[in-house]
Amino acid sequence: MSDLLFCAHYPFSSAAKAHVSERGMEIVSSYVDKAEERVHEAIVSGKVRKVPALSDAQEEELALYAIARMIVSCANNRYLINRYAVAEAKKTSDYLSSDAAAHPEYVDAVAAEFGIRFEKSGAQFLVPLGKYLTYTPRSTDYKLANREVAAGKVLVSSHERVRMLEEAVKKKIERELPIRAAFPEEVKASGARVLALLPKLEANVVKVGQENYPPCIRRMIEELSLNVNLPHTARVALAIYLVRAGVATDKIVDIFRGAPDFSEKTTRYQVEYLRTKGYSMPSCATMDSYGACVAECHCGTPLNYRANIHGRALKKEEEAKT
Amino acid sequence: MNSLVQSAEEKFLRKKFSGYYGTSAVAVRGLEKREFGFGGWEKKIEFRHIAFRNESELRARLVAEAPLYISHSVAYYEFPDARPMPRKNWLGSDLIFDLDTDGSACNHVCGKFTCQKCLDAVKADAIKLIEEFLLPDFGFSKSELAVNFSGSRGYHVHVVSDAIYDLDREARREIADYVSGTGLSFERLFWNEGKKFFGPSPSQGGFGGKFARAFLAKLSDDAFALSIARKLKKPEEREKLRGAIEKGNWDNIGITNREKKLSEKFEEMKLTMAGRIDANVTADTSKLIRMPDSIHGGSGFAAKRLPTPDAIAGFEPMRSAPVFGSAPLRVKATEAVPALNIRDFSFGPFGAGEVRELPEACAIYLLCKKAAVLA
Repeated sequence: MSDLLFCAHYPFSSAAKAHVSERGMEIVSSYVDKAEERVHEAIVSGKVRKVPALSDAQEEELALYAIARMIVSCANNRYLINRYAVAEAKKTSDYLSSDAAAHPEYVDAVAAEFGIRFEKSGAQFLVPLGKYLTYTPRSTDYKLANREVAAGKVLVSSHERVRMLEEAVKKKIERELPIRAAFPEEVKASGARVLALLPKLEANVVKVGQENYPPCIRRMIEELSLNVNLPHTARVALAIYLVRAGVATDKIVDIFRGAPDFSEKTTRYQVEYLRTKGYSMPSCATMDSYGACVAECHCGTPLNYRANIHGRALKKEEEAKT
Repeated sequence: MNSLVQSAEEKFLRKKFSGYYGTSAVAVRGLEKREFGFGGWEKKIEFRHIAFRNESELRARLVAEAPLYISHSVAYYEFPDARPMPRKNWLGSDLIFDLDTDGSACNHVCGKFTCQKCLDAVKADAIKLIEEFLLPDFGFSKSELAVNFSGSRGYHVHVVSDAIYDLDREARREIADYVSGTGLSFERLFWNEGKKFFGPSPSQGGFGGKFARAFLAKLSDDAFALSIARKLKKPEEREKLRGAIEKGNWDNIGITNREKKLSEKFEEMKLTMAGRIDANVTADTSKLIRMPDSIHGGSGFAAKRLPTPDAIAGFEPMRSAPVFGSAPLRVKATEAVPALNIRDFSFGPFGAGEVRELPEACAIYLLCKKAAVLA
């Protein structure tokens, strides 16, 4: 796959990389400005603009993509990187959806970038189990138990195929950035301006009084405020804890605001869902199996933490008195 | 490095175990990339973060120290003895299924002494896991499966395959959840289109297909057919329904509360392995698991590796797993011992305080169970 249209639509592809290294790339000021605009828009609005179907614009797209990565690398902040990755991935997904009809080979080529081969099965596709698990979000819709699984393959719709590739692109960018290299001053300055966006974005992230929360829960809240992409299991455990600890939905939603892929609507829906279902809190052993246990507080479940700690403190006080 | 004060029993067992490791070969796939853990009388894992360069190094250590429990990581690491964990640099892991008896097969009569009923039940579980999930659904080949007795009262199925090598915890939990049907929503298998009622066809993958196939197979059973709808008494009605379900059309079932009824049938059929596998073990990418063919210090039985997955059907743990033989050994029971059958020897019941001369296999079993002391 070496045509320019493909490269411009999928600038992360090895074909695009090869194209750039063949042509060479100069970092000119006008490109840096445009690339900064691209990063700015990606981070603030979650979008990356599509490329006009002109060969000049397509060549430019490749340069802008490369410089944008440098800028984000200079800003070097996990939250910004993750938000940027989400936006680039979203653009990829738009292209994949529209290319699927006119250039079905493009979709196959993008899939091949990640070692995935989708096998046509009627109007749907079969994908190897391991790839399915690696590139689908952990949610009820994608729950393996609810899927058609046979002979090591899972059936997915064409929309889900695109969704998987979007996830793959996001993970790739998150993994690759920041690039560690010596960048031109101009790019560094741009990175600093992008980094300056942060306080404004983070103003929305709420820090709650969490002195009495158990260490595992405190850690998760802390990580969210640092824009770490918590795994689904951890998010569910955190939400259940907060629901059961009597925290209001609005406040819980605010805590999740730090997640790089935060969506108010989805979060609110999921928190409400957990509330109505009345799920019980995972035990400490389960938390440990999620990799979420960070201390040995011997409380059985994180919900017992407060009672235990306070209980022990009271006992000590009484002992001191007698 | 053994604990400072060893009981006479522990000393004796370690000596016996050392003899075993001196004469039997150990084989661990990817040995030099695994972390090992050793256990003693009090804890199944007392020391971990141990690594070996090759089999003879491992064996020398086993002969010298004779740990009562030997485990190795399901993971392969670049630096298996480094710590803390992230320094090991995880490369990948086998996928493990841990099946254990929960005592429900005999209504918990057997307690700490394993009974045949429980062993048969867990063997059936392991066969179900392999035959109904690992081979048909996940598409693993038999050569990718390594099955061994746990050494106590269960089985471990190790999947060694590139297809799962680098999956993370979450992906592995999905696999465990699939097997146990956790998060399965039965209502998603059926849907209405206008007045028509559609559902899974038998050729379909996943639990939908499993249900359709099981349903069709049971439809020939009169009692089952009648429990669905009275009209299914007629063979022609049954055939009509059968033909429709083959195509995923469940409309002909002709009852009003069909969703509820079908979901009850789904439960009855026990198509999932809910509660039969330990999902935490499957999800844990750095779990230490009993080394195949090592002795389990809680039984004196080997965690016997089966030559092929099929061999499990004819495997009798109480006969084939005990490591020690018929040399006589005197022990004194410290609690009531039920009637037991180990190798070809039947012994018990006898009460606490009674002294018996037993074949070593049986006496060592009681010592390991901490139900007897040397006499």
